[in-house]
Order: sequence, then C-alpha cells, then structure tokens
Amino acid sequence: MNNPVLLIIIPLLLAFVSVIIKKAGKWILLLGVLINTVLAFFITTGETIIGGFLPPAGINLVVTQFTLVGVILINSLMLLTIIMSIDLVGKYSVILLTALAGINGMLLTGDLFNLFIFMEITVIAAYILSAQAKKYHHTITYLIIGSVGSTFYLLGIILLYHLTGSLNMADVAAKLPLLTTKELLVPILLIFIGIGVEVKLLPVSGWVKGVYAHANRLIAPLFASIIAGTALFVFGKLFVSVLPLSDTLTMLILVMSVMTFVFGEFAAFKQKQVKEILLFSSIGQAGLITALFISGLVYAAVILIISNVVSKLIMFTIAGAFTEKYQTDNYHSLSGVFVHNKITGIAFTIAALSMTGIPLLIGFYAKLNILIGFFHAGNYVLPVIVLLMTIVEGAYIIKLLLALWAPGKEGQVSLESFAVEKKQLLSVKNTAICLIVALVLIVGGTLIDTTSKIVTNGQPLLGDESPYFIISQSKGGE
Amino acid sequence: MIRLASLLLLLIGLYGVLTTKNVIKMIISINIMELGVNIFIISVGFITNGVAPNLTEHIDSSLSNFVDPLPQALVLTSIVIGLGITSLGLAFARKMNKKYGTYDLTMIGGMKDE
Amino acid sequence: MTFITVLITLLALSVVTYLVSLINNKLGAYFTIVTSLVTLLLLFLLKNSIGQLASISLFTFKLTTVGWYFSMVMVVVYFTSAFLNPFWMKKMIYPAAYNLFYLVSLIGTIGMFFARDFITLFIFWETVVWTSTFIIQMGKSRKSSYVYYVVSAIGSMVTLFAMMLVYQVSGTLEISVAFNALTGQPVLALIVFFTFLLAGLSKIGIFPFHVWLPMAHGSAPHTFSPVLSGGLVKMGAFIAYISVSAFAAYEAFSSSFTIMGIPAPIYIIMVLGAISIVVGTVMAIRQDDAKKLLAYSSVANGGYILIGILLFDQLAFAGGMLHLVSHAIASATAFITIAIVAHRTGTTKMSKLGGMIHKMPITYTVYLIAIISMAGIPPMGGFVSKWLILQGLADHGLLFIAAAAFFGSIGSFMYVFRPLSAVFLGQLAPKHENVKEASIMMQIPMYLLTIATLLIGVFPKIILKVIAGIQAEAGIQEIVMVGNTIVVANGVLDTFRVFVVFGYGFLIALVIFILRRKSRRVTLMDTYTSAEFVHTPELLHYSSNFYAPFERLTKKPYPVLNLYEKVSIKIKEIGHMAESLFSSPKPAVTIFWIIIVFAIFFLGGVL
Repeated sequence: MNNPVLLIIIPLLLAFVSVIIKKAGKWILLLGVLINTVLAFFITTGETIIGGFLPPAGINLVVTQFTLVGVILINSLMLLTIIMSIDLVGKYSVILLTALAGINGMLLTGDLFNLFIFMEITVIAAYILSAQAKKYHHTITYLIIGSVGSTFYLLGIILLYHLTGSLNMADVAAKLPLLTTKELLVPILLIFIGIGVEVKLLPVSGWVKGVYAHANRLIAPLFASIIAGTALFVFGKLFVSVLPLSDTLTMLILVMSVMTFVFGEFAAFKQKQVKEILLFSSIGQAGLITALFISGLVYAAVILIISNVVSKLIMFTIAGAFTEKYQTDNYHSLSGVFVHNKITGIAFTIAALSMTGIPLLIGFYAKLNILIGFFHAGNYVLPVIVLLMTIVEGAYIIKLLLALWAPGKEGQVSLESFAVEKKQLLSVKNTAICLIVALVLIVGGTLIDTTSKIVTNGQPLLGDESPYFIISQSKGGE
Repeated sequence: MIRLASLLLLLIGLYGVLTTKNVIKMIISINIMELGVNIFIISVGFITNGVAPNLTEHIDSSLSNFVDPLPQALVLTSIVIGLGITSLGLAFARKMNKKYGTYDLTMIGGMKDE
Repeated sequence: MTFITVLITLLALSVVTYLVSLINNKLGAYFTIVTSLVTLLLLFLLKNSIGQLASISLFTFKLTTVGWYFSMVMVVVYFTSAFLNPFWMKKMIYPAAYNLFYLVSLIGTIGMFFARDFITLFIFWETVVWTSTFIIQMGKSRKSSYVYYVVSAIGSMVTLFAMMLVYQVSGTLEISVAFNALTGQPVLALIVFFTFLLAGLSKIGIFPFHVWLPMAHGSAPHTFSPVLSGGLVKMGAFIAYISVSAFAAYEAFSSSFTIMGIPAPIYIIMVLGAISIVVGTVMAIRQDDAKKLLAYSSVANGGYILIGILLFDQLAFAGGMLHLVSHAIASATAFITIAIVAHRTGTTKMSKLGGMIHKMPITYTVYLIAIISMAGIPPMGGFVSKWLILQGLADHGLLFIAAAAFFGSIGSFMYVFRPLSAVFLGQLAPKHENVKEASIMMQIPMYLLTIATLLIGVFPKIILKVIAGIQAEAGIQEIVMVGNTIVVANGVLDTFRVFVVFGYGFLIALVIFILRRKSRRVTLMDTYTSAEFVHTPELLHYSSNFYAPFERLTKKPYPVLNLYEKVSIKIKEIGHMAESLFSSPKPAVTIFWIIIVFAIFFLGGVL
C-alpha cells in the first residue's frame, strides 16, 4: 500500500484502460487522480528498488521528506484541477493520466536517466496539452526548445556517467565531489540548461508566453502550478543533493536566477492581460526559487513553491474562466468583473495578496523565511532585491485587483453600473473549491508552527540546517 | 575520434535549429542533434578491443572484455523518444501549415492572433 | 479584562457587523458606530492595565502608555467618523465590505500600537494598509488607491528590511530590546535608522513620500477621509516615536557629526519634515478642491508632528504628541464638515460652492472652531501644541526649522481661511437654495469634536498628563505643569487665562453687535451684477481663483509625482525589453540565448 511505484504504475495502467474504454475516459481520469492522491498520503520515506537490481546498478525510487512534500502537494493539486475543470477534459484523459505518471516519476526517481525518461514523458504530454489551444506555432516553439533542452540534459548525464561510472543519484552525489571543477563544468552546465527549460529560467523561457497565455481553465493551472512545481522540486533535488557546485558556478547560476527574477517581475509589470501578468510572475518566482535553492535555503524555497503553486492554481483557473466567459483577458475590459462574482473575487484576491506577501497568508511566511535565511547566510544584497521586487509585484497585483473590483473611470465614484456584463465566472462547485484552497493559504500562513511541522516533519529538508521562522522566535527570550 | 564526430553532428544540428526558418528543417536539425548525442553515448561505453556484450555459450563471461552495455540500452530508449518527438513535431507542423498556410515560424509570429 | 479578550471581542463584533451589513447596509453602518464606541470604552478601561503583557499565536503585545495614547486618538477619530457611515452606504459599491474593512483597520491600528515584537507590528501595519487600500478604491479614483499602496509598500518593505536586519544582528524580535545590539556599530545603526523610519515617513506623508496623500485623501469616500487624515497618518508618527525611543537614536548617534546640536541623521529627517511643512502649506493654498486642500494641510501638520517627536525633549516632544491629538481632532472635524457639505450639495469643489452659512450655520461654526485650532490660534488646542513645538525649536536654537515652522503657521491661516470663505461665506448659488442643515446623526460627532478641541485648548492638562507619563516611560524630562499653567524655560502659559481673555473679547464684541443698529439685509442676487449682464459668471464667483496673486507666484508645483511616474515607465520599458528579448515566438532566439549562456559559463568556469 505504501509502495511509491504504485503512484507511477496506476496512472499508466489507467491510461491504457482509458484508451480501450474511450467513453469512460473522464471517470477513469478522475479515478486515477483520486487513487494517486490517496496513495500519496500513505507513502513513507525510504528507498524502493525496482526490478530487483540493487543500486547503483539498478533503478530505485527514493522518498525523502522533501520528495514527500512534493508528491503530496502535486498530486492533491492535480486532483483539484481535474475536479474543477473536468468538463474541459474531453479526449485528453489519456494524456493527463500519462502526464500524472510522468510527474510522479520525476519526483520519486533516484536515477538520472530515469529522470530523463519521466521528464520526456511529462514534456511530450505537455506538448500535446499545449496544442489544445490550437496555437500550433507556440506548441512547435515549445517542442523545439524543449527538445534542445532535453538533448542537452541527456548529454550532460552521459558525461557524468563517463566521469563517475554511475547514473544513480546518490552514487553520483558521492563520487562527484572527488572530481575537479573543470571536469564538472560542462556536464553541470548542460544539466542546468536542460532542466532550466521546464523551470522557466530566463534565457530558455521563450516558450512560456505562447503556451501559458492561451491555455484554458484546465491546462493553464496544469502548466503553471503542477508542471512548474514538479520542475522546481526536481531542480531542488538535483542542485542541492546531487550536483556539487563550485563557487564560480554558484555565482553564475545565482546571477542568472536573479536576472530571471528581476526581468520576470518587470515584464509582468508591463502586461495588460491577466494571464500574461501571471505567467511572467511565475517566471520571476521560478527565478527566485532557484536562487534560494542554490543558496542552500531549501525550507524557504519549499514554502515559496507551496505558496506559489497554490496561488497560481486559483488565479489561473479564474483567469481561464475570464477568457471562457468574456472572451478577453485584458483587465481594462474586465473592469468590475468581481462585482457579480464576489466569492470568486475573494478567492482570487486572497491568492493574489498571498503572492505580494500580505501577512497572515503563506506568501508572507515564505518572504520572512527568505529574509531570515539570506541574512543568516550573510547575504545582504539579495534581500534588498527581493524586497524591491516585492514592491513591483505589489504594484501590478494591486493594479490588477483594483481594476477587477472597482469599475469606473478616474474621477467617478465606483458604481456597479460601470461593471462589465454580469456573467457567472465559475460554477458553484469550482467557486467553493477555489475558496477552500484560498482558505488553506490563510490557515497555512497563520498557524505557521503547524505548517512548518507538516512540511519538515522534524527533519531538515535536503540537509538544510539554516534557521527558519517559528513562533517562539517572536516571543524573544520568554 | 568518434566522439568529435558526434559532437560535430550535435553542433551542426544546433546550427540548423538556429538558422533555419522552416519548421520541418528545424525538426530535422533536432534529429541530427539527437543522432549526434546518441552516437556520443555509445562511444562513451566503448572499450578498446572490447566485444559485444552478449552472453552466449561461446564466450566466457569472466575472461571477455565487454563494452559497456548500459549506454547501448540508454541509446535504444533515446532513439524511441526521439522518434516520438519527431512524429509529434511533424504532426503539429502539418496542423500549423493547414491553419496558417506556411511552415515558416517568423511569418506566423508576426500575426496578431493573440 | 485582558488585551487579548478585547481584541477578540472587537474581531467578533467586526464579523457581526459584516454579516449584518450583508442583510441591511444601513444597519451595518450603525453597527460600526456601536463597535467603535465599544472599542472606545474598552480601551479607556485598559488604561488601568498599563504594563500588561499578552500574547496569542505569533503575536505578542505590551500595554504601554504611548500605545494607549495613540490608540485612543485613533478610536476617537474612528468613532466620530462612523456617524457618517450610514449616509454613504447607498453610494458605495461594496457597503458590507466597507463596514468590515472600516472596523478591521481600526483593530489593525490598535494591535499595532501595542505590539511588542516586530512581526506583530508589521502584520497589523500591513492589515491597515490593505484594508484602507480597498476602501479608498471605492471612492472617486482607482489611481489614488494604487499610488497609496505603492508608496506604502515602499515604506513597508524597507522597514521590513530594517526589522529583519536588526533581528539578524540582535537575535531577538522584541522591539524594546532588539535595537540595543546596534550600539557600537555606527554604520549599521545609520542604515537601520533611515530604513526603519521609512514606513513612518511614507505614512505621515513626509516629502518626498507625500504624493499619495492629496490623491488618496482627496478622492477617498467622504466618510473615510476623516479617518485617513485624522487617524491613519498618525501610525507613521508611532514609527517615528519608536525610532527615537526604542532605537535610542540620540544615543546611537551621539558620536556622530552634529548639526546645530542635533545628530546629523536626525537633523536630516527633521529637514524633510520642515520641507513637508513648506510644501504642504504652499500646495494647500493653491487648491480648489476642499478635500485636497485639507489633505495638503495634513502633510504640513505631519511635518510638525515629526519634528516635535524627533526632538525628543521636554517641550517639543510634548508639543509634537499634543499636536497629534489636536490635529487629529481638528482635521477630522474639518473633513467631517466638508463631507456633510458634499453630502448635501454633491461637490467639494470650492469654486462651485458658497454661502453655506445661510443654510448650515451649525456646520459653519464647527468648521470655524476647527480651523482656528488648525491655524494655531488660541484658545483652541492647536495653539498649545504649536506653541510648545516652537518653544522647543527656539530652545535648541534650530533656526531654519523654526523658520519653516513659522512659515507653516502663517500660511496655514491662509489655507484654512479659503474653504471658510469660499464654501461658507460668499454667495449662495440658487441651486443650493434647498440645502438643509446636517441631520442630527451627523451633528453628534461635530459637537463631540468641537468640545474636545475647546477642552484641549483651555485645559491641555488633561492630555499633557498622559504625555508626561509617556515622557517618564521614555526617560526624558517631563513637561511641568503647575495647576493649569505650563512652565517652560522662557515663561509660562496659562491657557485658562488666555481663554478668559478671549472670552471677554468675544463678549464685548457681542455686546457691541447687539446694541448697534442692525444692518439692512439685502438678498444676495441684488448686489451681484448691478444691472450689468455677465457673460462669465464663474470668473466673478467669490471663490474662484481665490488667491490669484499667490497662485501666480507659485506656478510650478513640485513634480514629485512625475518622478514616481517616470520610474514606473522605466520599469515598464525594461519589462518590455525583457519580454521581447527572451519571449520571442521564434525558437531560434532562445537557442541563441542558450549558446550565449553556455559560452559565458564556460568562459567563466574555465578562467
């Protein structure tokens, strides 16, 4: 029951079943996601050997606390996405189940090549899902960039195999520190670029705008929340536990992450369409998360990932509903849309405010940990950048929220009559789910001791020993 | 030597993706890249004067000098993945052509279809 | 009654108010009045528990005199402004949310003033920020709400940086203890001083962070503007207080460069305060919209409060704290009267109003008393506080700042007079012939606040006693009062005697007025055009272009808002560049970047 292989096998099997019994596709999908989420809560930390060959020769699945957090989070969010947008699934149930298998595989595997395989499975499913919007040129762009990226990744791990004789993550992690920096430079670089495509780091994020901006209510949260979250967890595992980084390399990757962060947020500031604001914000946050991982602040990174993927789930679902009901994404054309959809608006607002770091929401808790972590590590420049970008973030999020809540031109008192046509954005079921998820953001941000206990379970994540914020710290020396 | 040749293939493929405008050619270039990588992988496993890693009655497993079988397994998988992506890419290219009438990405990117 | 129970009660009442508002808006608005009254009473009772510590979840609180002082001011302003709420429910797009946010922001301020650690302070501060942002947007302008939030965010984020830096250095988050770790580290202390103070500066509206004030106060819903101007800006004064008391700025900078006897960093901030006085006064004189005028006056008065608190001595500090109260009350009163006029006539533009004294005499009198206080004329409260501040400045020999303060005082007379004569005196437009006086509900806060202004002016001892307590807590020399007289180094001030003198003068004037022959009453329209046909009546209106020579003199207003807008445009441009560079539809561009990155890394790694 607590064998992590089931998390991968069951969706795959159900995918095949779904091909055979085409009519029940939606229900099989729902069943698969449900089973996966339930199973995710049952797995325990440890190692599972596949096929009876002991590592380092064979493949294994490794579950650490870090992995556990990732698996539970991503599977639950997948369940919520499917429940909310099951009407849009159509013929994609096979692809979605395959993607689910691939995602779980990416999170659980302990072998580098196995990671490549699952990454490819997920990415191919992603290509097909992105084609749902019928903007094929964006799909092709994504496909080409993704293929180049995965080719680089493959080359990278082969070089590592050449250097260490093994493809098992733990084994490689043990052997790599013995090698010189010059030998390691090229493979690590290649792996970085390969995984960077999915993580949306700046130079390789050219595909993001095309794919995210046209995704609908089902696909957009899938990309922005589920696949993005998985990619970040994988990045974390690789670059914290597996690959040793020399100082120069750390500095270079850090510069790139910070540039992603800054340029992503600046680009988001300029946008006029809701989905574009959100996607550039995702790019920016991905840059920040990678910077946190590289600096060794794993706990802060994980909290930020949780905050981001949950917020983006709500926000992209609602943004997808905007396009669905009003055929436009431009927030000036949508002014006052929340007047008729107050509860949806509240859920959206809570998610948005969490992103800007308003206290008592989990986004603020993430920011606190980031600041504490960086100051503890002696880094005083990055906190300044993070806080400046928070101001920029706050600016565009508030501008967005103001436009969506308060219609009316400048100089006129906001009245309901200025709002757009009344349409129900989300069905009752979806509004309820969005609201409950938003409440999780509040609860997670207020009961921070509970949150930290759930996330870390008493162990330092990926060996990160840096301090993070717990309630007793605010009470001084009481 | 083989390694250099495979890396050269990789670079040629990269150059192709970089410079060509036609989507089909881009996909072909990616294929060339993957070809280069695959050859590189096999070459990694090569041991001088090694024999193919087949266990038959004629070959004594303890004495023989096998080349590394693992990269060969990797390459098989990689080729299949490459196949999948190529066919997917070509299918999308075809769909794109039917919708926009061209295989040239720069022509479509300029269109205001957002 | 512990503080936590008070907080929880208030929160529960806010939720009840929200639920009631969902059913019936007006009833919910009455609930805000009730809740703020309850808050007032509970806080008053808490005075006996000064010194109590409390904590819940991650919040820790400590009941201090200064916290109590600030919260009482806040609650009084909220309570009196709440009386206007029921009349604005019809005009709000989200009336239930307004009531909720009204009360939650009140709770936020109270929680903030009693915070014992940085995180509690920050959390309650931010609560006030976002609730007020969402209230301001319900008014006339979304842009002002946006600017308000952005400037506030700049302040908050910089202050958060300071808090976390101090936490890192000292290992504790407790406000009264944490700053001690900075002694002996002058550079760090300097950085922390300027960054920590920033949230306070932006909230008070000190130059150059004042740009949001006229926009937000001017276009917020009329019933919330008194709260914004009379109440919320005082939050910034609290941060200023922390920076001199807990941070012990004078000790931290005791060895640094001094200007005119004040350590340089503190002097710089005081200069900013002085500039705010001048800028606020000048801009206020130019305004045509009554609310914007009062908003600029808040900028100017914020400067006084800041200077007073930063001087941290016997006189000016007491003056600054007292000015906090007297300005809060006077400003709230002024905004409430303008709100009432706006409620009856539909506009706050002074060039469109006039002659309201005929229809709203009570409102006129209340406004008159409020502006007498604001201008710093005895026997009202504003006089005592300004007198104390100026005494303190003179004592320290701070020439230039005192000059700015005097200029502000004189200028304030000009700008407070403008709404009086433009709105209340002058010609009554025919369309306002049917304007009625304010309803009883709206008169109650006016009476309350007027009595308060008078009390502070005649018997400032009531407030000064509390301030002396604050001074004792902070370890500075207390203000000395003998009976009702304030004793300072340069002399004494017995406000009751002053009041009596004014009273005699008023009586004499009244007697003369009654005994003399009555003037002949002529209706307004009779005297106006004298048989001339007027093509442009607007130009002949009494209050259009009121201070024309002055306005010609100060033609170019300071374009500080332009600076902010330029930064915003630059960020958009960089974003656009980033987007076009990296998010191109052609994969070739991305591949190109991959190669560049590869090359850079490779070179960087190899070298």
